[in-house]
Amino acid sequence: MVTELNESNFDSFVESNKIAVIDCWAPWCGPCRRMGPIIEELSNDLAGRVGVAKLNTDDNQAIAVRFNINAIPTLLVFKDNVLVDSLVGLRPKEDIIAYVDSL
Amino acid sequence: MSTAFDSVVDVLIIGSGPAGVQAAIHASRKKATTLVVGKPTGSAIYGTDVDNYFGTGSVDGESMLSEGISQAESTGARFILENVVSSGVVDGGFQIGLDGGDVVTARSVIIATGVARTKLGVPGEKELFGKGVSYCAVCDCNFYRGRRAVIVGNESEAGMSAEMMTGYASETSWVIWEDGVNPVLLDKAKASGVSIFRSRPVSIEGEGKVERLVLEDGTVIQTDGVFIELGARSAADIAMDLGVMPEMDDSIKVGADCSTTVKGVFACGDVTGKPWQVAKAVGQGCIAGMAAADYSKGTI
Repeated sequence: MVTELNESNFDSFVESNKIAVIDCWAPWCGPCRRMGPIIEELSNDLAGRVGVAKLNTDDNQAIAVRFNINAIPTLLVFKDNVLVDSLVGLRPKEDIIAYVDSL
Repeated sequence: MSTAFDSVVDVLIIGSGPAGVQAAIHASRKKATTLVVGKPTGSAIYGTDVDNYFGTGSVDGESMLSEGISQAESTGARFILENVVSSGVVDGGFQIGLDGGDVVTARSVIIATGVARTKLGVPGEKELFGKGVSYCAVCDCNFYRGRRAVIVGNESEAGMSAEMMTGYASETSWVIWEDGVNPVLLDKAKASGVSIFRSRPVSIEGEGKVERLVLEDGTVIQTDGVFIELGARSAADIAMDLGVMPEMDDSIKVGADCSTTVKGVFACGDVTGKPWQVAKAVGQGCIAGMAAADYSKGTI
């Protein structure tokens, strides 16, 4: 299972991973539902290298506002505790791995 | 509400292009009660000539569709020129909501929607994607609480989105530039407080985020979000509501009998992936129509 983040564990998750990829989603969002299994696979494929987690933007609107999220699915990508990119839209697993490898 | 068709059918076909019409011909010839939902004007061959189909020479798509619909009607298939706005699984089959307000229960469903255009193709659209430009109002409405939103599109998905958005945005506008909107949806949107504009969008503008939408007639709509919802409900959304997971390119994977991963749900034509050809669409339509008819009668 991919870690679900919220107000209480978001910052510590980002701080504790050299690279963190966070899937921002909501239950009624069709593309997010398709992203779900991809994130599950990514979590396994990148285990030990990248922290992969999910954030329900409906339940955590303050974090969505903090990172200026206007559309989902969005992948927030952090490196060394700094936001380096917001990747908006559904995308294949291979593209995400290639992006992470380029960091 | 009275309807011109049965509220429970054996085979419900979504899409009235070559795949859907051929499926209707074969399902109805197998004595399955068959209802086709969709507008032939939305087919990729409407308004173009088809010159690579076996035995016909060059023939205009509108005539092909018209003749095919007559063939299907002659064996009992019914056609309704509306769009699907909702879909789901119920006991004994599937329930499909139409933009005129009717709800149909079907023992089997064939998805034959073709491939939809989703991009508007105006300056600013690509640059401001994720910065106020969205292709999914239902996904992103929550980020527009107390902000201004414009819905862009000529069909049911835009109307449904506009009405929904009034529950979130401080101001909701709907930009329409072609005929095709169901009047029921238009009235509902107006009653919900949606402002209607009738002119083609020409550009989306803003510095680092959406600030305004410019229309062909010179109107400038100040807004925080532009939601591009062209056409009817997408095949990918319909499929997911029925329990079928689409591929990354929004196509629906089918077996040799045009079945999907969900029993009773079939797909045919362009929506199953390339090649996007009439010949392949009608071939799959034939297979899907017969398979759905057999499934609905419990013979497979």
